[in-house]
Amino acid sequence: MIGESRSSPGSGAMTVEQIEHQFAQLRANDDGSPGLRASVVNLVVVTDEESAGRVTEIVSGLSGDFPSRAVVLISDPEEEHANLDFQISAFCSIRGSGQVCAEQVIVHAEGPPAHHLESLAGPLLLPDLPVFLWYPADFTVDSPEFEGMVSLADRLVVDPAAAQDQGYCLSELAELLNRDAPDLGDLQWVSLSPWRGLVAELFHPPERAEKLGEIERVEILHAPRGEARSLLLAGWLASTLGWKPESVSREENYREVSFSGPSGEVTVEMSADSPDSALQHIRLHSGDMSFQVSRHRQISEARSTVTQGGEVVAERTVRLGSFEPGAILGEELHYRGRDDVYRAALRMAVEIMDL
Amino acid sequence: MAGTQVSQDLLRDDSRLPRVPEPGVMVIFGASGDLTARKLVPALYDLAAQRLLPMEFAVVGLSRTEMSHDDFRAKLREALEEHRADQFSEDVWESFSKSLYYLPGDSKKSETYAELKDFLKKLDEDHGTAGNRIFYLSSSSSLFPTIVEHLGEAGMNEDAGGEEDGGYSRLVVEKPFGRDLESAQELNVDIQRYFDETQIYRIDHYLGKETVQNIIALRFSNGIFEPMWNQHYIDHVQITVAESDGIGTRGAFYEETGALRDIVQNHVMQVLCLTAMEPPVAFDPDSLREEKVKVLKAVRHIPEDDAESFAVRGQYDEGWVFGEEVAGYREEEDVASDSQTETYVSLKLLVDNWRWAGVPFYIRAGKRMPKKATEIAIQFHKTPHTLFSGSETRGLEPNVMVIRIQPEEGVSLKIGAKVPGSGFEVRSVNMDLLYGTAFLEEAPDAYQRLLLDLMLGDPTLFIRADEAEGAWGILDPVMKAWSDGGSEVARYEAGTWGPEEADKLLKRDGREWRRP
Repeated sequence: MIGESRSSPGSGAMTVEQIEHQFAQLRANDDGSPGLRASVVNLVVVTDEESAGRVTEIVSGLSGDFPSRAVVLISDPEEEHANLDFQISAFCSIRGSGQVCAEQVIVHAEGPPAHHLESLAGPLLLPDLPVFLWYPADFTVDSPEFEGMVSLADRLVVDPAAAQDQGYCLSELAELLNRDAPDLGDLQWVSLSPWRGLVAELFHPPERAEKLGEIERVEILHAPRGEARSLLLAGWLASTLGWKPESVSREENYREVSFSGPSGEVTVEMSADSPDSALQHIRLHSGDMSFQVSRHRQISEARSTVTQGGEVVAERTVRLGSFEPGAILGEELHYRGRDDVYRAALRMAVEIMDL
Repeated sequence: MAGTQVSQDLLRDDSRLPRVPEPGVMVIFGASGDLTARKLVPALYDLAAQRLLPMEFAVVGLSRTEMSHDDFRAKLREALEEHRADQFSEDVWESFSKSLYYLPGDSKKSETYAELKDFLKKLDEDHGTAGNRIFYLSSSSSLFPTIVEHLGEAGMNEDAGGEEDGGYSRLVVEKPFGRDLESAQELNVDIQRYFDETQIYRIDHYLGKETVQNIIALRFSNGIFEPMWNQHYIDHVQITVAESDGIGTRGAFYEETGALRDIVQNHVMQVLCLTAMEPPVAFDPDSLREEKVKVLKAVRHIPEDDAESFAVRGQYDEGWVFGEEVAGYREEEDVASDSQTETYVSLKLLVDNWRWAGVPFYIRAGKRMPKKATEIAIQFHKTPHTLFSGSETRGLEPNVMVIRIQPEEGVSLKIGAKVPGSGFEVRSVNMDLLYGTAFLEEAPDAYQRLLLDLMLGDPTLFIRADEAEGAWGILDPVMKAWSDGGSEVARYEAGTWGPEEADKLLKRDGREWRRP
């Protein structure tokens, strides 16, 4: 029966019961009494051999803030022979009089079983808790493996920046919006949250809010690997402020998009010349005023500045927060439900690319 | 032009982005005091660093001490480096400190307020603080009425709402909210002469604690508890707020205050309200506070001439607390050698309403207890009929559900379970869920949470006038009985769970205190 008895030349046969039994043993306290398990989510990860080490490290790091049953599936469907291997671990921390553990099972699936990952992950999920399915690398929306896995998930979490072609990945995601797919979480979008908050904050006072309707030009400086982030940022501004994309001109590492805005033309220049930061700065120009959020010399901090006629009228420095993959994924695990602002930004980003 | 007008709300209308308050300025009276440096400014710094304060925000400290803006900033920086050692950032501080100002002035003199008013106007121009003001009373409580009167006379109490060039005006009052019912009522009248109740935020930082808010979450986000949360199922409730610490260097303060005023009137009464209240219609200021006030109104009046049957006061003697020999209360610094001040209180309260008729709430709060523990224990009735014989059910007790607020936040439920093997022996087993462990994220500091709510204009977690008065009203007869001589304060050895008299209070009802 699939999910109950599996053979693997490496580690021998292992049933779901054996795995659960091993987890219970790992959770036990030093005196042998049953240990506690605290779980708030099921986290299922599909990855490959190459990224497995990094991914498991991130998942283990999350166990403190998001104790979960993590199922890491390392898939190699190209192998000719079927092979399954299970590694079971628990991450325990001392709490009060006992210890509390989060659990992780790493499943190596080679050959035909790698085409049926959902049959491996499904029985290992904890009941009654939401299932987050995370693809840390590329994925193919139309593959049967993907469909099978997505059917298990309440939320699909992806990272377009990990894709070979970030633009294509965004298009694939936009395509998913039209299907009966689980709610979508995008780690590039999560990374944008502090930036979006700071940009919104620049226009907080009513007298500056009016300037939002009069923006003429936007400059975004990002690194080549920040392409998806930059497109989503532009997509967010355009979809939120009611700009319609009209035309685009492209050069190497540069894209200039013309929009028709409520009070005239708006130009968004996206330049991929930043040497390090995925996103280095965003500047919005409206008449004699400029609004800027830029990374500070401290990489974890940002400076917001408002200038009028070249003179600084407001500025401040704040923490941007961590952009470590674990922190970003943790942020996403907080979120539940459909993110309509993201959906609109994504659709607009794809529209910009398709111009 | 209507077609081109875009408001900031468009960018803010986003569930992923945190709510950021309107621009504004916070004026702290008594700013040279400990609270400003230790709690208020670090909490504001954290909010600023975490992008939760508006860019247009300023703090004005006011007190009699002569200090320049730079002196004030240097003092706060020092405190911040101490209290936020691992999070201190030079650049964030530099940008944050530009919005910190200090005005030396006597809060009893009108000219101080004229100067303050001009200064705030200037800040509106320089910092874009939009006429929004928060006046934080962190000075000695005896100055509260004077400050409020002067603010009113200077016209700084006016809540201009949406008026042009106008902003809001809010008043924050730190506890104690009076010393007894009469003084609390006087204080409320004094304040309300100039500020509307909707402008007043009485702060009890206890309500800003995640763990206290979790009582509400546990009760009202879980359908399984509410049906049995009443006299049909519950025998009695015990609320414990125990501290292992003594009074430290606060002898002079404590002599004036005592455990009843220091802990019971505010923190314990809040826990009682959250435990006993009916489900509010919504988690909004009026719905929640209305239900809390109903509980306070329903608490049966304690007769002054029979206070002993409902209240016990105790004072710690020397003893041993967790391997440390500690002095008795009367040997502490600044404490009278014949002091009658209570360091321990236990109360029996009856909530006379449909839900709680006949269910006593036993409350105890004390210092120099064996350990620090805050918990609510709900003791359920015994099963109506026992299937099993005496020997089989030895060790089986009624169900107890304990909501533990600290130290290990969680819920435990004592249930009967069969001992494996032949026969049918049933024993009590504790099922322990540390729900705090499910979310190990660092909970924000209570002040951080409350200051943000305050700036966002959400008074849900602040105390309303009738709440403060209601709590005093319950305790007033007890305080009168004690101050009129009454019986001597009972003594208990440090490191124990209170005086024998407290045990008798429950024993009379055929019950006993549980060990937290």
